[in-house]
Amino acid sequence: MTAFWRLLKFAFQDLGRNLGLSFMTVLILVLMLLSVNVLWSVDVVTKEAVKLVKNQINVSLYFKAEALDKEVTDVKKYLALFPEVTDLQLLSREEVLKSFVERHKLSEEVLTGLTELGDNPFGPTLVVKTREPEDYKKVMSALDVPEYENLIETKSFEGHEEGIEKIQNITNRVERLGFGLSVLFAIISFLIIFNTVRVAIYTHRIEISIKRLVGASSWFIRGPYVVESVIFTILSIGITGGLIYLALRWLDPYIQIVFPNSFSLTNYYNSHIFFLFGLQALAVLLLTIASSFLAMRRQLKA
Amino acid sequence: MIQLNGVSKIYSEESIGLRDINLHIDAGEFVSIVGQSGTGKSTLVKILIAEEKPTKGQIIIGDWDITNISPVDIPFLRRQIGVIFQDFKLLPKKTVYENVAFALEVAGETSDRIHKVVPQVLDIVGLSDKFHRYPLQLSGGEQQRVAIARSLVHRPKIMIADEPTGNLDSINTVEIIEILKKINEFGTTVLLATHNREIVNSLRRRVLSLRGGEISSDEREGKYRL
Repeated sequence: MTAFWRLLKFAFQDLGRNLGLSFMTVLILVLMLLSVNVLWSVDVVTKEAVKLVKNQINVSLYFKAEALDKEVTDVKKYLALFPEVTDLQLLSREEVLKSFVERHKLSEEVLTGLTELGDNPFGPTLVVKTREPEDYKKVMSALDVPEYENLIETKSFEGHEEGIEKIQNITNRVERLGFGLSVLFAIISFLIIFNTVRVAIYTHRIEISIKRLVGASSWFIRGPYVVESVIFTILSIGITGGLIYLALRWLDPYIQIVFPNSFSLTNYYNSHIFFLFGLQALAVLLLTIASSFLAMRRQLKA
Repeated sequence: MIQLNGVSKIYSEESIGLRDINLHIDAGEFVSIVGQSGTGKSTLVKILIAEEKPTKGQIIIGDWDITNISPVDIPFLRRQIGVIFQDFKLLPKKTVYENVAFALEVAGETSDRIHKVVPQVLDIVGLSDKFHRYPLQLSGGEQQRVAIARSLVHRPKIMIADEPTGNLDSINTVEIIEILKKINEFGTTVLLATHNREIVNSLRRRVLSLRGGEISSDEREGKYRL
């Protein structure tokens, strides 16, 4: 226990008596963590935007007016079996007519034409949503069988196919770019932390050799640096967290204008706070300890 | 106390630190090791404190064969040997008191014992009024006295001094040598590596001369000769 308290004492003494170096180390860690969080936030916002776009895509199956309710329900049941299908909404003939009238209420010619027809000319409509835009192709081709082809007047997919493919390509590229940037930042962060700790250890190399000469064990020399790593981690995570929340207070109103679904980064951070900052704290701690162990290896050999 | 049997330290064919050294030093002796720069004085010191391993030969300190000492045991060896250097090797960010206390703290001594022993040894070297100074606030002689105090806290059986007066003026040199003589009078074996002729001649103790990594002479009451 005495040894533990002494390690703590040495760590705090070292921090206090090397204020400049301690400040620089924390500053670099904060800058690195800010970069990671900015990238993370961009990734979250991008994914939310992609989700929003994907949600707005759907395909409608327009049934013939003479299609029976049972036949339409069978098609709905058949499509529900596909794991790719996330939502199916069946609009009855009456609902389709009501919606048509609503859409064309300003066009007297269209409404007159409809009255002249007498009966409701529309069949039911089935609105299909899939997990990914690329899934529509598979689902739609499953309906290309004679028993269904006779029931379905038209599919809105034919007209949208090209657009859906474009959106899919764009979202795929955005996701790949986000992943690539994350990997790049992870590598840069590792190098920055490793070098920062290495510089700190290098400035202590004479002290380390003196400690060895007076009979300090390796753990007695490493211990304070491990404690310092913990202190640096707590400080840098705390400061970064504070700065992130300040920035979000300013940024969130703008984000909420863009996203109609009341998406907010502050809410995202609040609901993931332990995961996000816990993961970052763990990563910084492991990186600083591993870097100091690696950097000290040479000094401890003597 | 110290026994070296056929010890050599060969860095490369062109660079030989020590060559086939056979040496026996009894407990309580005061031995000066002399020789020009590069003759192996510092290599001998480094081998005795296990900072370097010999290429061949055997080293025994007390009853302990340290020839192939494991890294885990090195701290224990160093806590039993007091060492002082030309460049003092003090921790610059620790005060005089903390520098001396550190040697006891690493050995796991209790705080009570540290509070008792550190002022005593600092009093012996005449620094009881400079506990809270940092090394850079002291003169060279004072810094060396702190180093001596640090090496004394473990009450070592052996004290090794590697050019301890190399950075000091003549007055401080005399003071440091007097302290070493006093330490020796209390029974500690002292090894003094130096190329200061006056000191060696004034001591009138055993002198070991090194040349090209070999012992060129070993005299009981010798003088400085190369």
